[in-house]
Amino acid sequence: MRIISQLMQIPGVIAAGEYAYRGDRYAYEGNISSEHARMASILCRANTLSMNMQTELFSSFAPEDCGCKPLQGWIVRGRDISVCVVGNIFCFCQNTPGLLNDVMTIMRAKVGDIEENPLVYMYAKIGGDVHEKLY
Amino acid sequence: MSLDRLMQVPGAMAAFQYSDKGDLVDHQIKEGTELTPQVLDLLAHTCVANLAVATLEARGWEQLTGQAGFEPLQGFSLVGLDWSAVVNGNFGVVVRNRDADYEAAFAALAEFKA
Repeated sequence: MRIISQLMQIPGVIAAGEYAYRGDRYAYEGNISSEHARMASILCRANTLSMNMQTELFSSFAPEDCGCKPLQGWIVRGRDISVCVVGNIFCFCQNTPGLLNDVMTIMRAKVGDIEENPLVYMYAKIGGDVHEKLY
Repeated sequence: MSLDRLMQVPGAMAAFQYSDKGDLVDHQIKEGTELTPQVLDLLAHTCVANLAVATLEARGWEQLTGQAGFEPLQGFSLVGLDWSAVVNGNFGVVVRNRDADYEAAFAALAEFKA
């Protein structure tokens, strides 16, 4: 299953999408219009590229590798909604308790740094039957 | 409240306080980590800048799309390869990704802002 569809299975996820690092191509699922998804893709790409440059700059102040680059993504925590970006995937989700950690675990497992089975990782971290909740 | 509270967040490697302009005011770094005060100082500037940009984008998004629920922002996180910086207001905490509990970090920072 594509990560976007996988994210959309999680209760509380409003929309998820994928954008190209170059050009205007994007794909998405969820409760936003195509035009808003296009805007979100541009916004997320611009922020990601900008932050990538920033991490390159401040990591140069560390004697060796400071552990921040390459950038994996970013989160904006709003009052009721959070925006999560990892790699070229974005996700709008409600601030339901536990949801942000679940979404970030899935996103990092698919496009980030988690190499083991994300479910095993999540069991270890939060316990409980997350499989039923996610799939 | 002190930075000790933030150092209790799961996976915390460092906690820091910064001015409105992003200058480092106070910090704690766990021994054995690769972070330095210089990195934290630039990290704080980055976070202040990105929080400001995020506020602009949230306000604009709400106005343009009619989708409410972003403002006021509750924080921002930069997710690096090994660690993430989580900030809100004038405080931040750096957490190791493998132990990160983003919600706990945002909740701890909210206590500082309250």
